[in-house]
Amino acid sequence: MRKFLFVMLACAAGVSTAQAPKPIPPVQFTDTRLDNGLRVILSEDHHAPVYAIFVAYGVGSKDERPGRTGFAHLFEHMMFKGSANVGPGEHFYLVFTNGGTMNGATSPDTTVYFEVLPKNQLDLGLFLESDRMRSLAVTQANLDNQRDTVKEERRQSVDNQAYGPSSERLPELAYDAFAYKHSVIGSMEDLSAATLEDVKEFFRTYYAPNNAVLALVGDFNSAEAMAKIKKYFGDIPRQPPPKPVDFSEPPQTAERRDRLEDKLARLARVSVAYKIPPGNHPDIEALNAMHIALASGESSRLYQRLVRESQVAVSVGGGVSERIGPGLYQLSVMVQAGRTPEEVEKLMYEEIARLQEEGITPKELLRARTAARRSAVSVRSSVLSRASSLASDAVRFNDPGRLNTIEQRRAAVTAEQVRETARKYLRPENRTVVVTVPAASPPGAPKPAAAKKN
Amino acid sequence: MIRANRWFTLTAAAALLVCSAPGQAPQQAPSSLSGVVRLNRAPVSNEILRVKFPRPSEARLKNGMSVMVLEDHRTPSFSMTILIRASSLQEPPELAGVVADATAYLLRQGTKTRDARQIAETLAELGGSLSASAGHRGVSVSISGLTDNLDELLELLADVLLNPAFPQSELDNLVRRQLSSLQAMRAQPAFLANERLYAILYPNDARKITAPSAEALKRLSRQHVVQYYNANYKPAGGMIGIAGDITLKEMLPRLEKLLGGWQGAPPPLPKLPLEPPIRERRVALIDRPNSVQTYLMVANRAIGRRDPDYIACTLLNQVLGSGPASRLFRNIREEKGYTYGISSGFSATWYYNDFGASTSVRTEVTEAALNEILKEFRDVRERLAPADELDGARRALVGSFARSLESTAGVLSRAMELKDYGLPADYWDRFPEQIMKLSPERVREAARKYVPVDNIQIVAVGDASKIREPLKKFGPVEEYSSEGKLLTGSR
Repeated sequence: MRKFLFVMLACAAGVSTAQAPKPIPPVQFTDTRLDNGLRVILSEDHHAPVYAIFVAYGVGSKDERPGRTGFAHLFEHMMFKGSANVGPGEHFYLVFTNGGTMNGATSPDTTVYFEVLPKNQLDLGLFLESDRMRSLAVTQANLDNQRDTVKEERRQSVDNQAYGPSSERLPELAYDAFAYKHSVIGSMEDLSAATLEDVKEFFRTYYAPNNAVLALVGDFNSAEAMAKIKKYFGDIPRQPPPKPVDFSEPPQTAERRDRLEDKLARLARVSVAYKIPPGNHPDIEALNAMHIALASGESSRLYQRLVRESQVAVSVGGGVSERIGPGLYQLSVMVQAGRTPEEVEKLMYEEIARLQEEGITPKELLRARTAARRSAVSVRSSVLSRASSLASDAVRFNDPGRLNTIEQRRAAVTAEQVRETARKYLRPENRTVVVTVPAASPPGAPKPAAAKKN
Repeated sequence: MIRANRWFTLTAAAALLVCSAPGQAPQQAPSSLSGVVRLNRAPVSNEILRVKFPRPSEARLKNGMSVMVLEDHRTPSFSMTILIRASSLQEPPELAGVVADATAYLLRQGTKTRDARQIAETLAELGGSLSASAGHRGVSVSISGLTDNLDELLELLADVLLNPAFPQSELDNLVRRQLSSLQAMRAQPAFLANERLYAILYPNDARKITAPSAEALKRLSRQHVVQYYNANYKPAGGMIGIAGDITLKEMLPRLEKLLGGWQGAPPPLPKLPLEPPIRERRVALIDRPNSVQTYLMVANRAIGRRDPDYIACTLLNQVLGSGPASRLFRNIREEKGYTYGISSGFSATWYYNDFGASTSVRTEVTEAALNEILKEFRDVRERLAPADELDGARRALVGSFARSLESTAGVLSRAMELKDYGLPADYWDRFPEQIMKLSPERVREAARKYVPVDNIQIVAVGDASKIREPLKKFGPVEEYSSEGKLLTGSR
């Protein structure tokens, strides 16, 4: 009986208080540079007996030259094929057989490597990352082997996929500067052309400590961890800084457009991209807020209009890319069978015009702020996501603590700013459109079912 | 083994990241350690970190549902799943693959007081996500979000669960989109392979269904949905799991208030036989013209979740095909360069008992890749795994437990899984010790029982004009169109 009363009281207290939202605790971290230029970010967290090590290099497909597309990513694969004290494949083996997980990823701006391991394997993670930063094994056999794997990756993710070719076509058309014009995966021809000398040169130039950020997050003692980091990484020599990338884009003055036939696609797709400024530009937060209202999830205007009301589309997606150089705001709509890309485009542009005219409502602004608060929660959910955020934002924007300002940055956006931003960027002459249509059916294949029901 | 989702969401965003190793399962090393050169110079702690999983607090609601709560006060957020004990395997046959999923989907498309748009907008404003899906062991209705608005989110969840309106217009919309999505899915090799494989492995009942059929979709009426809801959405025997910035004390009165008036029991869960492996080898080819790769799935029936061989099979799979340290990955990706990724797995559940491997390889090496897979399958059956390889596999499995403590929702779902299978609450605490003492002979015995060679079921999706002849070397070939129609071969 007593217990029951206590429960009731607790409940009453919980229900009646309409308290201010609980603050989300900031992620505490230290930010240090070793003498050789390696930036080290440490963040202790003793919730679970694990840690994440995350090394982000300031190199991506943006640094590739014509004739060598796909090289940054091919190089990433080489980083798993051994170094002075780690045999080919031993990296995978050591991490996984000690209860860890790992991977690497290449994007236009960065190349990143990470391990998540039980806390007693702190030396292992640090050793593996330092050994390959210091002494990557560059051999012809490793290069040829990983070239095959990467070509297979290209087949699987682009050539054998519906919409693969159109996804490459969009940036190719939208950008003028080479940096972002080509895909991360690169062309088969360029992958074939990569030489051992290219690998050596790339390693020397870009895989230097002064071009990298190491973030360590999890269950360790910071002083001990820093001593170990100095031991493993401190004597890797710095290199001259890589030459800056030319991102300059002449202002776009007319719509760009292409139409691709896709033999593997069954439904048409409309992809639209607007050029936007770099990820740390003040307009980016307003664009993010705008995207929540326009195209994010079932509450968004485009979902409601295209998918639910007019039923011209099956799905709506998109997002704001936050890049070191100029980004894209992309919208992608899968067209309902029996409807046309033209119908989809017309309604999309109507909704965009309405946004530019009326701006967003107070409720839409609230949704945008709530979404930012949820992002702030989700980025804290694992040691890996925190390490990734700290290191990547340090490399891209020299701002490792960006994860602590997600809510504040979004809260500063006003409805008026969103309208101004929509007017500024979502102009017809600033857009690139790629329409994908299914190629004519092979003989004998059934016709697409009529979309009519009832 | 990957199971196809029955309802498909088409995503259209371009992939920005290119990863070097797909998936993130633990690993280990093979006998010869092909594909790996071990220098043994890296500093490794020999200690294997043992962990103890936190136990959720438990209670029972007056309507017969059990409640499990695991607290995590690091951020103001929570996630909650209500599991209703109604199986999607018991749909009326003429609506198989359709009515259970449609009912779950339509829950959030309108209640007696809110339309679909209002539900979506309210969720976005409150910072919540709500989803419902129909599974073989029950309907899951889940909500997650910020505890700032806990009461409002719980009220919305209860409204969606208990007062659905199933508007005709939303049903029409769903059917139309699903018909479109079905067409798009038929462009995807993995979808086509799954469809064929499950028809082979589970030919006699609803388990073979991996997607709705256009016929059943067109047949579906609002009345079907209402009937299905009324018969199945009952609380008795159900489970509620909650993780996050809440306590059992706070939640119980709220749950009683919201769900206390909901009464009744769903029909009993089905009992379906877990059949032994198929005896004859079979090759099914699905023609996907213009493919530059062949998608391969090889499989056969093996064990269910409660089988005593489960733990031995877990270790066996760790050696053979789980992640980048496994034999399949090291040989077929790292040594041969045939693929970007390959893995194997047991889908051991109440109703599924298959073991299999899947990969995409370039068309020209279809035959060579199949030969290598068969070689690895034979090898693990014939030869005892070397001590160091087996030790690596054990360390991988036990060591990865430390990582799984990171996610409170993940720990809770492990506890819910144990309850569902009637396994003891200390099962995961004892698991490491059982893994550590498994002998190489025991692993080989499991391989001999469950890794198929002579009776392997092969499904290949690719350009038939290029792979038809090579596939014939592996057995009699049945050929299908990408619409799933048998073209040639005997069935």
